[in-house]
Amino acid sequence: MSDSLSAALATLRSRYGPQALRRGGPPEEAGAWSTAVPVLDGVLTPGGLPSGRVTLLAAAGRGPSGRLTLLQSLAALASRSHDTGYVDLAGTLDPGFLADLGADLDACLVISPGPARWERGLVMARALVAAGMPWVGVALGGDQPRPSLWEHALAALAEAVAKRGAICVVAAPAPVAAPLRHASSLTLVCTAAGWQRANGDVAGLRVRLTTAKSKLGAPGAEATVLLRYPRPYATAEVVGLPSVVVPRLQPIVLPIPDVAGVAARG
Amino acid sequence: MRVLCARHPHLGLLAALRRYPELRGEPVIIGGAPELRLPVVAASEAAQAAGVRVGQPLRQAQQHCPAAVFVPLDPDGVARLRAAVCAGLHRLSPTVEAGDQEAFGDLSGRHAEYSDEAAWASALARRLRGVLDVEIAVGVAGSRFVARLAARSSHPGRIRRVRSGDEALFLAPLPLDVLPVDPAITARLAAFGLDCLGAVAGLGPADLQRQFGPDGLRLYRLARGEDSGGIHPVPAQRAWSERLVLDGATGDLEILLRGVRQCATALGGRLTAEALAAGEVSVVFEIEEAEAISASGVPAAPSGNAGELWTAALGLLGELEPQAPVAAVRLGVSRLAPAAGRQADLLRPGDGAHDAVVATADRLRSRFGATTVRRPRLALDPGDLPERRFTWEAPVVAGVAR
Repeated sequence: MSDSLSAALATLRSRYGPQALRRGGPPEEAGAWSTAVPVLDGVLTPGGLPSGRVTLLAAAGRGPSGRLTLLQSLAALASRSHDTGYVDLAGTLDPGFLADLGADLDACLVISPGPARWERGLVMARALVAAGMPWVGVALGGDQPRPSLWEHALAALAEAVAKRGAICVVAAPAPVAAPLRHASSLTLVCTAAGWQRANGDVAGLRVRLTTAKSKLGAPGAEATVLLRYPRPYATAEVVGLPSVVVPRLQPIVLPIPDVAGVAARG
Repeated sequence: MRVLCARHPHLGLLAALRRYPELRGEPVIIGGAPELRLPVVAASEAAQAAGVRVGQPLRQAQQHCPAAVFVPLDPDGVARLRAAVCAGLHRLSPTVEAGDQEAFGDLSGRHAEYSDEAAWASALARRLRGVLDVEIAVGVAGSRFVARLAARSSHPGRIRRVRSGDEALFLAPLPLDVLPVDPAITARLAAFGLDCLGAVAGLGPADLQRQFGPDGLRLYRLARGEDSGGIHPVPAQRAWSERLVLDGATGDLEILLRGVRQCATALGGRLTAEALAAGEVSVVFEIEEAEAISASGVPAAPSGNAGELWTAALGLLGELEPQAPVAAVRLGVSRLAPAAGRQADLLRPGDGAHDAVVATADRLRSRFGATTVRRPRLALDPGDLPERRFTWEAPVVAGVAR
């Protein structure tokens, strides 16, 4: 550091106080919720999904992107350890599918504000988070209302999430509105990379995830995951019970952990 | 669990003595005029000393105590006293129950303000004495049954504590008639030569079940002081309102706002005093020579003081557009529940966050509709159709009847 720069810094510190100038450090640390999926915990996000922050699963374009299946898989995983809220603004949630994914339905609360009622859904999510709900997923969908109608509710939700240290995952269709991009601390862009077929049938969807924004690390990481669809009636004949109760009796296995490949940081 | 039981004179008698203070110390019989073919509901100490008993016909009571004053039961006065007892105890205990002659409070866990159970129980007893203005007998034990018996064996102004694990020891010498079971069972036990609870406790559960069927197991547990009765809080279903008649009908928005504000201040103070919060708020404008108009809603968070109530009312005022001068304003609150954040909430057993989430879900359903927040449940007979694989139900707090 040159003498003139040092002198200038000393002048500024003496004039405005020692806190006026600080050296930049590593990104601010946040607690993380481990998803047990190596790609999500290691490559795309440091340690897992950040707590006290909003994580955005954004569709790259129109058509299937796998974001809702990924969100439901994460919600199913979360429900095994704590209360979980799922705000179904997309109107696509099938609780049976959630059970097939291994969710503990006793711990799941489904919020259905109605189609295109984004503001109401975000207000309800905020109320539950403020009351102590530790994990909440918001599936946005349908006709996208004007951002001016719901951006305040989104800001309030982000504030409640930060205050309570909750995990909040929002799945949004394309194009992603500016308030959502602004509110998220971690944005994973989901792109469908093709169906996974087995024995002539669709067994899952391959999804490419790209870290488009991260306040917790460097963006640009990219990976592909396989979202394997659960087979609801596969074991029904074996155990003689509704198959939907079976996943809860099995060890914790997220149906999405098959990693087809991990690309290097972009 | 630790349960406090406080025994006091019948609330009907206390309500009558509040109404007629000159009757203190006199023989008083509650139930109605002696000509009526009704039973005695309660009797003062002086009347009981003359032989009057609860349940006996009023005419017979008059024969026992000709000098007694007969007073009809005042249900409103009793309800007011019961509400006051609940409100008083709620400040020190998370779960309370107020009966006609007994009040129960949950003393499980620790209270931040009181170092031990005895100090905590004393505080509850002092508060109850302050509310009822009469000396009470208090018992503290690990179950409802034992706490009640401890209170009966205590004296006015005294607290009888039965330590955890000493319940069977405390019960052992007590006679069989203290058991809350069919007298026929007590008679059979006596016929077997059993003369106290200790003797019953010495029998095995199989022996008792063989003799008394399902009642045998209950008997076995009661004799050891292991009843699971607990405390049965009565859910608050009250609704309060405050009405202000304006000094001349007016359409001036500023005056109407001031009127509603005044009502909110009065009602909010009442809510704060009783540590309650309103789940629903309504505003009514009474219009001259026309039908009143009203608006009601569920606030985002329960309103427990004047400020919160005013905010909720302000949100409703925008929905009211009176077409004629308003003669009076009325602010109402309903779905009253214990306000959150009380010191006593720290003592509430279970997962507080989970209960808060469920309470919030309940409020959201009231506000946005019954189908907006639900919990899916797997169907027992799912069938082939995907929509038959699950059903919906409203989430409830475990152990609390709604």
